[in-house]
Amino acid sequence: MSELNTASPKRSSRGRALGAFTMAAVMSGTIITPASAQSISFWTQPQGDLLVYQDLMNGLSDEFQAESGIDVNVEVINWSVAFNTWLTVAQGGAAPDCADMYWLHSFSGIGGGKYGPQPITAYRDQWPTLEEDFFPGALEDVHWNGEFYGIPWRVDIRPMMYRTDFFAEAGLTAPPANWDEIVSMGQALTVRDGNNTTRWGFSPGNNNPAQTLLPYYWQAGGLMLSEDGKTATIDNEAMRTALKFLQDLVHVHKITSPEIFEKSAVPLDDFTSGSVAINGSMGNSWPSQFDRDYPELEDKWAIALNPMGPENRDSFSGAGYWGVLYGTDQIDACINWIKFLSRQENMQRISEATGAASPRRAVMSSEFWNSRPWQTVMGETLEYGHTSQHATSVWSALASPEPGAVLYDLVYSTVIGNEDIDAAVVAAQARMQTELDRSATN
Amino acid sequence: MVRDKLIFCYLMVAPAMLFTIALGIYPMLYSMWMSFVEYDLLRIQQYGTPFVGFDNYVEVFSDPRFVQTVSNTVIFTILAVSATLGLSLLLSQVLNANFRGRVALRMAVCVPWFVPPAVASAIWMWLLNTERSPINYLLRDWGVIDSNIRFLTDSTAYGPFSIPMLAIVAVRVWNGMPFAVIFILAALQSIPRTLYEAAEVDGATIMQKFWHVTLPSLKPVLLILLTLLIIGGLGSFEINYIMTGGGPNNMTNIMAVYSYQQAFSFFRFDLASAASGVILILTGFVCVFYIRAQFKGTQQ
Repeated sequence: MSELNTASPKRSSRGRALGAFTMAAVMSGTIITPASAQSISFWTQPQGDLLVYQDLMNGLSDEFQAESGIDVNVEVINWSVAFNTWLTVAQGGAAPDCADMYWLHSFSGIGGGKYGPQPITAYRDQWPTLEEDFFPGALEDVHWNGEFYGIPWRVDIRPMMYRTDFFAEAGLTAPPANWDEIVSMGQALTVRDGNNTTRWGFSPGNNNPAQTLLPYYWQAGGLMLSEDGKTATIDNEAMRTALKFLQDLVHVHKITSPEIFEKSAVPLDDFTSGSVAINGSMGNSWPSQFDRDYPELEDKWAIALNPMGPENRDSFSGAGYWGVLYGTDQIDACINWIKFLSRQENMQRISEATGAASPRRAVMSSEFWNSRPWQTVMGETLEYGHTSQHATSVWSALASPEPGAVLYDLVYSTVIGNEDIDAAVVAAQARMQTELDRSATN
Repeated sequence: MVRDKLIFCYLMVAPAMLFTIALGIYPMLYSMWMSFVEYDLLRIQQYGTPFVGFDNYVEVFSDPRFVQTVSNTVIFTILAVSATLGLSLLLSQVLNANFRGRVALRMAVCVPWFVPPAVASAIWMWLLNTERSPINYLLRDWGVIDSNIRFLTDSTAYGPFSIPMLAIVAVRVWNGMPFAVIFILAALQSIPRTLYEAAEVDGATIMQKFWHVTLPSLKPVLLILLTLLIIGGLGSFEINYIMTGGGPNNMTNIMAVYSYQQAFSFFRFDLASAASGVILILTGFVCVFYIRAQFKGTQQ
């Protein structure tokens, strides 16, 4: 509890140093309204339509003020500067009192118990039915090192999406239910014109190799790290199975483009333009985006549970959460605000306005989330959600979408480069362990 | 009187100097300091920033990816600078001639300059997308190619060159050429007509006039332009980062992108600073060369 009341300076010399690198990010966004006893600052990233989201958050803060007398200054941070902003915050840069955050494990580790996300374990009993109310995968994203950090409010869950028009054309009546069917259906859906492939049957995910690998590795029965986050556990049969499956999609079955991990690959564009028939782990916002921006594709797409792997059908999942920041002296006001936001009716409103799947079971079983087939599938997939967070502060470096990251190099060299899987896995295990050892706070 | 004038001059220069110090020199010096300490965001809270001497430089040069980015940066700069200078010289000669529609053509040449590199990258990413590229479509339609050219993703290397590297260079030239054209055009217009008239009286051909009148007259401007283009090339970032992120297989990765990746993806601000330090040293060499050339010119 004493930890909670320790106010840290909001700006340090290290924060200024980081500011030298992130000048643009800092200048672009975040002027804090001075906090008073009845005023808190709250930063959030937009979900769905920006204007709708701003109106919604401003409306909620007005209602909260009328109810509690606490004024919430909502600042919407553009996603393009969000990462650098939170990196700056975790290093002692300017921070709000509370916020909508993500990547708890990384930013907590960087903050080292001085800056960034602040545990609110002492307030956990304010939500007495947390386990029953929320999906377990989302709750994993708000716990780190045995501490509780906040309430998950949106969940990035990634089922499979497929083009029903191409399925009908190929005489297929149901989406693939397992890995073998991915291959057979992918072959039926792939269309070639001479030397060019005009339609790829299957794309395993997005252009981030680490994110793409995760669900297949889990489905093969693997886990990246030991439970305490200190030991790399990727040198195993599950990793070899997952990589072999992905490698064969590209090089043996030739139903997956060798360009999937390049920056110029845009999975959404590939799917909407008809260059890809099945995306095995779609973007969370795709269905609502399709409803809004691609009316011409109505009735031409559907989503389904991720196909069963050798062990399970785990789906990529990651939650954004409302939490409190170190440096605030407004913890109680922040807790009240988060309690207000996390009411079922408010989470329902937020989910409906943003189109973001909710980690709250009651919202996902509401009429809104069951009025369309895809919405029902989203809810069902949450039951198979496997958190993409890992209990180490070095995780986002390990899983970075940039060349040089351990998982990027492992996946790219084997799946695209067709290199020897055994050697690559052994090397990646060693590199990953070195990185884990580097993080002093994991 | 002289003192008042000096004070006035200093006052006029002060705002610019302050901004330069705050936004240019201070971050640069801080970054240099960071390259000599351990500045790992994942360890800093526990271990601080101990002095490590040249360890960070040794570590980046031990990374084969960095060594490749140095080579890529040099090749990228040489290709982009020579193409930009060559084409700009040619184009500015055309734009300097008297013909109907000259103003419209000058406007058209300037258009790419109005497009920010980030937007230019997005446009060219679409134009160069393997499956949806209109360029590929046209080439196939005309029977020039059978299979799509993988402009940004072909990992076949031809020595130090690759198709993605050439594609990135082309975009850089497209985006940067107007600046060079305007520079050279302005210089061309300041060459006295009498020099050309005298050359004509001596019976000089067009090429001789270009070689013996135009080029010597443009030399000071070309030297500045060359320096600026080289410095810009060595520190180039946006186009490579947005269009390929350094891929495929690190083929288009350049030092600024490597530095960004180390800092913001792997939280190693010390290695990022060391990589930036190498850029600083390389650009420093170019500047010293330029200043010496200027100094010699002034003395002569």
